[in-house]
Amino acid sequence: MNWGATVRTILLCAILILLHYTLRPLLAWRASADFLIIALLLASVRVRPGVAAILGFIIGLASDSLALSAFGAGALAMTLIGFAWSRLKAVFFADHVLLNGFFLFLGKWAYEIVMNLVERRTHGAELLMQILVWSSLSAAVTAVAGVVALMLLRPVLETRGT
Amino acid sequence: MARTARFSARLDVVIFAACVILSLIAMVLPANLREPVASALRRSLVAPLIRLQRGAEQWRSAYLSSERVELRRDTLALAAARVPTLEIENDRLRKLLGLGSKVQWGFIPAEALQGRGRAEDFTVTLSAGSNAGVKERSLVVAPEGLVGLVQTVDPTMSLAILFAHPDFRVSAMSADGSAFGIVQPHVTTTSTGNEPAFLRSERYLLEMRGVPFRATMKPGAVVYSSGLGGIYPKGIPVGVVLAEIKTPESWARTYLLRPSVNPAELTSVMILTPERAAAGLINVWADVGAVDSATKSIVAAGDSLARQSASKEAAARRASIDSAARLLADSLTRDTTGRAAERVLPTDSATAARIRADSAAAARIRRVRRDSIAAARVRDSLRRDTTPGVRP
Repeated sequence: MNWGATVRTILLCAILILLHYTLRPLLAWRASADFLIIALLLASVRVRPGVAAILGFIIGLASDSLALSAFGAGALAMTLIGFAWSRLKAVFFADHVLLNGFFLFLGKWAYEIVMNLVERRTHGAELLMQILVWSSLSAAVTAVAGVVALMLLRPVLETRGT
Repeated sequence: MARTARFSARLDVVIFAACVILSLIAMVLPANLREPVASALRRSLVAPLIRLQRGAEQWRSAYLSSERVELRRDTLALAAARVPTLEIENDRLRKLLGLGSKVQWGFIPAEALQGRGRAEDFTVTLSAGSNAGVKERSLVVAPEGLVGLVQTVDPTMSLAILFAHPDFRVSAMSADGSAFGIVQPHVTTTSTGNEPAFLRSERYLLEMRGVPFRATMKPGAVVYSSGLGGIYPKGIPVGVVLAEIKTPESWARTYLLRPSVNPAELTSVMILTPERAAAGLINVWADVGAVDSATKSIVAAGDSLARQSASKEAAARRASIDSAARLLADSLTRDTTGRAAERVLPTDSATAARIRADSAAAARIRRVRRDSIAAARVRDSLRRDTTPGVRP
């Protein structure tokens, strides 16, 4: 990845992180889009797995600083997701929009599952309902938002070669 | 090259493992160690993002509060718009309660459910039926007066014909009982454009036919049911006289009436049982006639009092003018007749003194006039003497 592409990716990730802290509170949906996950996906498919793991760790730890009950859980989940996406980029052709949407859905859902299990706020049927309904709904919304963002930013972005 | 790639892959795995281990350590950190790390992150890396989030939430709360304000305003506007309707309904229900207290017994309250079709202009559906005691040919009244007659009765509802129905007839009379006639719907023919405005604009008008020619009614007079005929008891307001209309019947008068009840505003009515109708309703709406007549009496009394006081005032003014003229004539007479007039003067000393002063002044005026005439004559003679050349 050349410097221009690197700067563009950093800028887009910054914009998505800003959206996470501005648009999400404005919408205040129960199942809202997670722009941090989308930013992580955009960055992970363009950097090495180790760098993606570090990015995931930093973003997760930053979000964990606001949720002390699950401090470290977000970092763990983001690290796993970032590393996995970066590794999977070598296996799959990640420029396909629907495939990216599917990865986003899986990544957000995995993140929600890890957070729900670590936070231990809900148990039993409620936990199941949270994971199956609200987490999957949030993952779907994130996937849709990510696909829309990727389609809009396709001319600007440039993925690294496989 | 291959070694470098393998090294990079191992390095990625090592970094990944390190991140995972650090995350796990963060998860198991005790609270006293976890909080400083989180606080440092919040104060450095996350601080600008938190400020952004706070701003966004303030925007959202402002939007929500403005939405709540707008909603509250809309609610208030809606409530304010409903107030006149509620007031009208309240007033109507109060009147109905008042009518119920006057009728006292033998009535069934019902809601008038009006159809919106043109064919239903002559009928009204009532929410009470035979289960509530409604019978056919029962009388339907409202606080304002006569509404119609029950025609069909079902267990839970009934149908009544309005006074606008072509078959509707009621024997009616004027409030003072001087004019009798038959009230029926006013069926308008094709409009010619020459009829009065109320004929073109108002629906549901009535006609009072067969009024004897010697009996006249003024516009605004209330017409009541007369009780003749046996169906409608005496004393129910039927309508108000609008005007006399010309008909081919030259032997009787026909009056156009505005019904007491407006069917378009009919919501709550009372169905009178046949027993109650047979017992009579003279005292129920009598107050209306009494108030009407009392008002007219008060107005008439006020008019007569005003007329009386005006005539008294005029008479007093005329008397004072006459006495002044008489006194002046007397004084002139006394002045010309000398002392003899003084014997005619009234005994009142003040009046006598005034009259003396008046006659003295008149004498002075006459003397001055005589002197001025004499002086004028002298001037004329002198002018003639001093200007002989001018003589023609």
